[in-house]
Amino acid sequence: MEGSPSIELRGVDKEYRRAEFVVPVLSDLDLTVAEGEFLALMGPSGSGKSTLLNLVAGLDTATRGEVLVHGRNLGNLSEAEITRWRADNVGFIFQTYNLIPVLTAFENVELPLLLTKLSRKKRRENVKTALRIVGLEGRENHTPRQLSGGQEQRVAIARAIATDPYLLVADEPTGDLDRATAGEILDLLELLNREFQKTIVMVTHDPLAARRAHRVLYLDKGRLVDDVTDETSISAAS
Amino acid sequence: MKYFTYILRNARRNPVRTGLTIASTSICLFLMMILLSFFAMSAEVASASRIFNRIVTMNANGFAGMLPVARVRQIAAMDGVVAATPFQWYGGKYHDEVMPFAQFGVDADVVFDIIDEFTVPPDQLADFKANRKGAVIGRKLAKDRNLKVGDSLPLKGDIYPVDLDLVVSGIYDGPNNRDLRMCLFHFEYLDEALKQTAMAGSGGSLTTEAARRSGNAGSIFVKCRSAEMMTDLCRRIDDEYRSTEFPTRTQTEEAFGQMFEEMMGDLKNTVYWIGAAVVVSLLFVAGNAMAMSMRERTSEVAVLKAIGFNKGLVLFLVLTEAVLVAGLGGAIGALGCKFLCDFVDVARFSGGFLPFFYVPWNTALLGLGVSLFVGFASGLVPAVLAANSSVIDGLRKVV
Amino acid sequence: MIPFKYNIRNLRARWKTTLMTVAGTALLVCSSCVLFGLVDGLEHSLTVSGDPLDLIILRKGASNEVTGGFESKKADELLELNGIQRDEDGPVAAKELLNIAMAERLDGTHNNLIIRGVQPASRKLRPDFQIVAGRDLEPGKGECVVSRNLSRFYKGARVGGILDLGEKEKYRVVGVFTAGGSAAESEVWADLKDVERNTGRDGSVSCVQIRAAGLADMDQLQKTIEDSAQFKLSAIPEATYFENQSKSSLFLKGAGTLIAVLLTFGAMFAAANTMFSAVKSRTREIGTMRALGFSQRDVLISFLGESLLLSLLGGALGLLATLPLSFLTIETSNFNTFSSVTINFRFGPMVMAVALIMTVVMGLFGGMLPALRAVRLEVVSALREL
Repeated sequence: MEGSPSIELRGVDKEYRRAEFVVPVLSDLDLTVAEGEFLALMGPSGSGKSTLLNLVAGLDTATRGEVLVHGRNLGNLSEAEITRWRADNVGFIFQTYNLIPVLTAFENVELPLLLTKLSRKKRRENVKTALRIVGLEGRENHTPRQLSGGQEQRVAIARAIATDPYLLVADEPTGDLDRATAGEILDLLELLNREFQKTIVMVTHDPLAARRAHRVLYLDKGRLVDDVTDETSISAAS
Repeated sequence: MKYFTYILRNARRNPVRTGLTIASTSICLFLMMILLSFFAMSAEVASASRIFNRIVTMNANGFAGMLPVARVRQIAAMDGVVAATPFQWYGGKYHDEVMPFAQFGVDADVVFDIIDEFTVPPDQLADFKANRKGAVIGRKLAKDRNLKVGDSLPLKGDIYPVDLDLVVSGIYDGPNNRDLRMCLFHFEYLDEALKQTAMAGSGGSLTTEAARRSGNAGSIFVKCRSAEMMTDLCRRIDDEYRSTEFPTRTQTEEAFGQMFEEMMGDLKNTVYWIGAAVVVSLLFVAGNAMAMSMRERTSEVAVLKAIGFNKGLVLFLVLTEAVLVAGLGGAIGALGCKFLCDFVDVARFSGGFLPFFYVPWNTALLGLGVSLFVGFASGLVPAVLAANSSVIDGLRKVV
Repeated sequence: MIPFKYNIRNLRARWKTTLMTVAGTALLVCSSCVLFGLVDGLEHSLTVSGDPLDLIILRKGASNEVTGGFESKKADELLELNGIQRDEDGPVAAKELLNIAMAERLDGTHNNLIIRGVQPASRKLRPDFQIVAGRDLEPGKGECVVSRNLSRFYKGARVGGILDLGEKEKYRVVGVFTAGGSAAESEVWADLKDVERNTGRDGSVSCVQIRAAGLADMDQLQKTIEDSAQFKLSAIPEATYFENQSKSSLFLKGAGTLIAVLLTFGAMFAAANTMFSAVKSRTREIGTMRALGFSQRDVLISFLGESLLLSLLGGALGLLATLPLSFLTIETSNFNTFSSVTINFRFGPMVMAVALIMTVVMGLFGGMLPALRAVRLEVVSALREL
């Protein structure tokens, strides 16, 4: 997975202000993520891992420092531009799936495609492809309530890849699933990384999940404290 | 359009809430239609009567004043006049009813040439003209009181000290939004009866002594040859009688109708204020429903924004939902009321007070517009809040 | 019983929703109260107009004094009858002649006014007749007094003004009167002879008003007048007469009731909407309470109580908002006589009853279904919620 650095954080600080209090969440972070890399972020509660994920995904802006994706400084983008950027470049996977309960699986997956200029027919094709990749064709017209947890997460993943974004961002994707189902989901993520070259940044508590990644970063109190590159995973991929 | 599915589904998300909001909106709009139509329809009828080129002459001092019946002939002879008839309000009692229906003494030979929006079968009209005690009644009046041609129609005098024993000669028909509840009889019948009592000398009343004696036309309805002649004729008639004992006031039929509305005075304003209060109340009710709905959807909105739905789009989606729900309620209430009044003769239940009742189209459309506005205004704040909500806060896991 | 403060706290916690619901329902209650306050005002003025000892004499068969006139000679005879109350000025009885004439309002529009030609005793025959500005009229001088209500709406209807009712009818206004809220407060009073002259109706009167010396005398007078073949008159007890007049306000009452019913439904739906949402957001709490041992009935009563409290707030606010309107007077037309009638808004038992009924209905019926839904929740599934 040698590749040009696609995500770079340089000297990033992130603070929250509450009245006169300044709460530092991330301090002086430097990080590089290569194209097509599968990265896991671990750390205790409050370590800032979710915040780091938000920065990478363009959901939040750094207080100090730079966040560059494909050379583009996200901090320079306006609100509208960064929203557009997210639509084109990022797919989201959440712990609680966050599917729209009133829409069917098909319609949920179609949602990000509505933001594109694709015709109805093309959108339909993309949705079907995405659902096929995650193994859920035949369940298009089910609503989230009619699906199991694992199936819901698959729909969420299908939604995340529907527009073929370059980056997938996952926040505790297996947190609500049992061991067996979690394994299936992680298989899927690995597949997406391996076969479709998706760059994946995943926050997780679960060491078994982290083991699937190429690299695991540990955060504590807003700082990177460890950087474990799993040699075994790397050689398996190349 | 492509977001329609999402918007519709969201509205169906909580069917009870959406249903109740629609119900509230439709009831309030239904009420608004009733309140506004009362004034709007008289305005519409008044302006619709313009095409008939009719003017109305009455005593300048008010209804109570006398209008010598000889003037009917004089006016009919004027240039530009097609025909003229007295329209003398009799105001008699029918059995024990509290509110009398409209009863007018008219010139049977010409009256239906003047009020020509109404039709009478020719044989009935001939019978009416020939029979001095005959009367022609409106279709709805006949239906209300179960009267057929040939039935007797006894009226007891209230304003005038004479009773009338009428017989139904015919039934006139016309469009539903005109007065189909009048009773027209021969002016001469009442006049003759009054002459006899006047000779017996049974005293005066509100109207001048002379008025209560025979020979009072009450008011005169005149059909003019063309619209241009109307203003001129009004002036000429009033000029002619200005310095007599009974000066006249002549105006177009439209102005005559407006005169009644003017008399209503503050009642109109009161009704409009209540309508406004109802609309404001709706704003609160619909706004509350939308706010409650959005409060339950904060994480969902955050997900949309994460995926890449920008502020403007989120605003649009929420607003459209609010407008759709309110608009549906408005359509049901406003159009529902209109169609109800079109198909059911609701005036029947007004106890003789209203000859007809319907909702004019522009009132119904106004109602629809109001409901769309309510949807927009009530959805605005929740929409703006949703559009500006923080994505991160919305995504934060509920502990 | 679930303590009531649980409901109060919840209403406070969801204060935005509570506030909006209260505002919405209050406006609807207020609208109904305004309508009924006006209806009550109209009816009240008719009720107080009727003194139990007074008789109105009209032409036989007439239903209204505006159109119920007869010869002045007969009227004179009536004034001499036995059984009429007498005081130091003579019999408490008066001939009166009514005229209806077109007058201009201050805003330029027109309406018909009742001009009542009166005799001195007429004042005693109205409840609490008082001159509140200027002075009373002197006979034969073309003067008139106007009611305080009319002085607020019509051009020239103030002390020193001229009431212009047409070429031959102009009166100088010398005073403003009130009459205990009775029907006279929609009228202009002038001297009987002046009105006779101006309208060319010497020799006739519209009615005669008589106060009997006692109830037995009143019955006697009524019989004498009605049975007399030469008179051909009817003697109607004033209370009955005004009661009959109020029958024509039945339409207003009916319309007002229809409107109030619709408004109540609207308010009911609004309250129900809020309560449904309240139940939905508290399913876990409800499950917990049930698990703790509170019965289904307790939960039902609790939510019904909350719904009633919510409605009470709306109803009370709506009622209070009507309070400042107590000074409202509107001027419109009496559909019987097509003449001006002024209605004083009356904040009385009718208004309060309307507010109360609306409150109870929207609280009880609006809250019933949500409360039932709260009760039907299974304990376990409620606890497992979310």
